[in-house]
Amino acid sequence: MAFDLNTLDAPFAALAGFDWGADADFFKSIDAAVVAAHGDASLRGDLEKRFGTLLAGSTSRATKEYVCRKLAMIGTGVSVPALAALLTDADNSHMARFALERIDLPEAAAALRKALGMVEGSLKIGMISSLAARGDLPSVAAISNLLGGDAALAAAAAAALGTIATPEAAAALAAAKPAGDVAAAVIDARLACAEALLAKGDRKAAKAIYSSISAAIGDTPKTHRERAVRVAAKRGLLAAAE
Amino acid sequence: MRRVLAVVCLVIVLGSSPRSLLAAQAGEPPSRDVLDSVVELILSGDADLLPVALEKVRGGLKGEDFTRELAEVVLPGLERSQEKAALLAALADRGDKAALPAMMAVAQGPADALVRAAAIRGVAALGGPEEVPFLESLLSGEAGTVDAARGALVAIRSDIVSPRLVIALGDKARSGPQRVAIVGILSERRETAALPALVDAAVDADAEVRAAAIKALGAMGGPEQIPGMVAGLLAARTDAERSDADRAIVQVCKDHRSKDLAAAALLDRFRAADPAAREVLLPTLARVGGPAVLEIVDGLIASPDAADRKLGLVALARWPDATVKDRLLHLVAQVSTEEERDMLLGGLIRIAPLPNNSLDPAGKLALVEQTMALCRRDQDRGKLLERASAIRTVETLRYVLPYVDQPALAESACQSIVELAHQRKLRDGNKDEFMAALDQVLATTKNEEIADRAERYKLGKTWERKKP
Repeated sequence: MAFDLNTLDAPFAALAGFDWGADADFFKSIDAAVVAAHGDASLRGDLEKRFGTLLAGSTSRATKEYVCRKLAMIGTGVSVPALAALLTDADNSHMARFALERIDLPEAAAALRKALGMVEGSLKIGMISSLAARGDLPSVAAISNLLGGDAALAAAAAAALGTIATPEAAAALAAAKPAGDVAAAVIDARLACAEALLAKGDRKAAKAIYSSISAAIGDTPKTHRERAVRVAAKRGLLAAAE
Repeated sequence: MRRVLAVVCLVIVLGSSPRSLLAAQAGEPPSRDVLDSVVELILSGDADLLPVALEKVRGGLKGEDFTRELAEVVLPGLERSQEKAALLAALADRGDKAALPAMMAVAQGPADALVRAAAIRGVAALGGPEEVPFLESLLSGEAGTVDAARGALVAIRSDIVSPRLVIALGDKARSGPQRVAIVGILSERRETAALPALVDAAVDADAEVRAAAIKALGAMGGPEQIPGMVAGLLAARTDAERSDADRAIVQVCKDHRSKDLAAAALLDRFRAADPAAREVLLPTLARVGGPAVLEIVDGLIASPDAADRKLGLVALARWPDATVKDRLLHLVAQVSTEEERDMLLGGLIRIAPLPNNSLDPAGKLALVEQTMALCRRDQDRGKLLERASAIRTVETLRYVLPYVDQPALAESACQSIVELAHQRKLRDGNKDEFMAALDQVLATTKNEEIADRAERYKLGKTWERKKP
């Protein structure tokens, strides 16, 4: 049975004026429509149009957050521009990423990559982590370039490369010359890379990483962390050799 | 030096064996490189890396040849006991019987206690019926070895453990501690085939064997063992033994899946017992309770035979909960002798505040009030006031407090009040009433301990009960 679109007018009007603490009972109607939109392209299109209007308008942060959560479930390329426009907005960037991270389309990834060059600080760290969560291979070079900069960004970049875990990501991590906390993040990322490569069957690449880390620490670890890393590397070496 | 020798031995073994350690095995054998890496880590003496290597011993690197290499070459090369014990444990977890000969050699040899215990546990993990006699022989050894052997005989998979240990249990030439250990093993293995032997042991000449057997029967026994357990109870020579046997019988009659049958078996034994034995069994029967027992008890009370009636009244007075309160109240009003009246009243005084009875606190207090009205002696009233403190409500305080003004009951009332005040939440939640009541206690009591407690509670302190 087709969903009666007229029943959505009142809930969407309520959503346009919604803010935290207000009665959210109307969410139920919209939630039901979102569920019904799976397998109903027409309804999905209508909802995306309504959601897009709310994102572009001067609605509250609470409204935009709700909309982003729904678009994470049913969003298509149609919604990407409206979400992308929020990526540089400090208040709404994280929820826009939440949606774009989950829209499995190249244009969603492209929007995140573009925003990576446009934002700084925590928003940039957010873009890095969303691209990593998507396993976005084209962003490896851009993320790798961040390894030598600001410590927080470099640590986030290292973690992202460890998550993406391709030979290119592993090479970028191996070439990094980090210091302090970033060095620890890079080692963790390299171990994560090696584990992922091993799981994919690339024993040679994994062994190279484990050997390199093991050699760097040597047989006389000085700190508890070095001891833990040494154990992880030895375990990895044995697993790679099996 | 020994470590170097071990590595040299390893090289010799590898070099002299044409089939070496890469012998054909099911599936793809692990590479020599990885086996060498594991061996190197084990021999390195590196405490951080030993667990990494042992993880591979436990699983991952399959193959009997590697097992033998670890057990016959690497193990003797280790210097520290902890490392040897750790490798033995890992080999046991590996589950490859190829390690068993080496494991047995260590278990039988002069190794220190830690290593030997690990080897004994390993023998249990990897061994079977053939190893049972050896493990059984260890039960007569030193304490540390006995503990390991006991654990091993519990763990080993074999059908011959039970028959062998049953024979050993019946061998009176064995020491008491050995036979106690055997009872423990049979119990932990849940060897139901050993139940007849345990029933025999419940009347053994050795008190420790009897105690262990009756405890095991409590955990494992069923209706079929009740007659034997009753025999154990009747053969008990001390109060402690009687208490253990009573507890075990009640456990079977209340917790076993066929508990009704067990209770019926107990009743049968009770019916068949002579008067002296009935006296002994009655407390146990009463503690089991239940409708079937109550029916018997009612029958005994209604009996024209005076002895039967007395037994029934005793049982009712010892009932485990307040389900019989109406019977007791009814009978107290009907009995013809003071002795019977005292006995039933004692039952009421006992059950009224019981925490496990089915009454709510108000119902319990109402029963206390009803019972109080039946009491004719201050001695009973005092007992009841003291028992009432088990009903931890402010209403109990209000009930007890007026008795402080009655000289004959004042100390009992004071005792009850300080017991109630001991409950910090109750006291703090009704602070004004308790402070006033404790002042009254301090003005009345002549008992130093009660006065000390009252002072402490007034200051918000606690009081530590002396251990009996």
